[in-house]
Amino acid sequence: MLRKLRISGILVILGLLVEALSLCWNNALSFMSFVVVGGLLFASGVLLFLYSLVSSNDPARQLEPNIDARH
Amino acid sequence: MIGPQTLVFLLIGISILLILVVVIWPSITASRQGKTIAFLALFIIPVVAATVGASEHIQRSEQTQFCLSCHIMEPYGRSLYVDDSSFIPAAHFQNHRIPADKACYTCHTDYAMFGTIRAKIEGLHHVYVYWFGTPMHPIRLYHPYNNRECLHCHSGARSFENSPTHTAMMGDLKSNKISCTSSGCHDTYHAVDKLDQVKFWKPAE
Repeated sequence: MLRKLRISGILVILGLLVEALSLCWNNALSFMSFVVVGGLLFASGVLLFLYSLVSSNDPARQLEPNIDARH
Repeated sequence: MIGPQTLVFLLIGISILLILVVVIWPSITASRQGKTIAFLALFIIPVVAATVGASEHIQRSEQTQFCLSCHIMEPYGRSLYVDDSSFIPAAHFQNHRIPADKACYTCHTDYAMFGTIRAKIEGLHHVYVYWFGTPMHPIRLYHPYNNRECLHCHSGARSFENSPTHTAMMGDLKSNKISCTSSGCHDTYHAVDKLDQVKFWKPAE
């Protein structure tokens, strides 16, 4: 879960950086880089994050493996 | 007033900062507040930033300089300065009958429902063909020019409605039976093959 969070964060950061750079120029290639490169990186990061939310591993349990023992 | 580009950069900056917090200290997501921060940082703010960025790119794609940024369009850009009123695009552009900064888009968009989206998709196809395919030579429209795009502005205009030539064939013009660009009518548009034979207008600096 934490690893997925880190990877999704890095992917989203890269996607956002590509999108920010693409706004510095006004031509067809910058638009395509926004949509294709930035969009792919950003979408894969967001989807990985959402997947990490719904996947079975609970972060609270990962950090506190003895949570069941306490209760 | 913050412009859209500045707003996008601001949102991207805030998002990157928050994401870095989550990436460096992922353990904060153990708490409810941490989960909220992660959700904002990795979903809400990036989606908003991407949406505003996409909107800004779409606005820019309507500008004349965007269309002319591809080398293959250079003669079409030059044709806007031809010093001959029979050249339809030049006459419209030079007299500001269309917005000069959106000259290409104003005439080459599609004024039907979802026309803007269709025009954008065709634009993506242009980019694909330019970089990965073989552009047509000479370049031709994918479909015959629709009178609707002319009538979008000219319909209802006094000079257009009062012209006896137009009055005689108004029904056929509005139904596209006769094209505005028919031979003998408004049949000179970009004519890029004739640019070495014409004079050009130089706008005042």
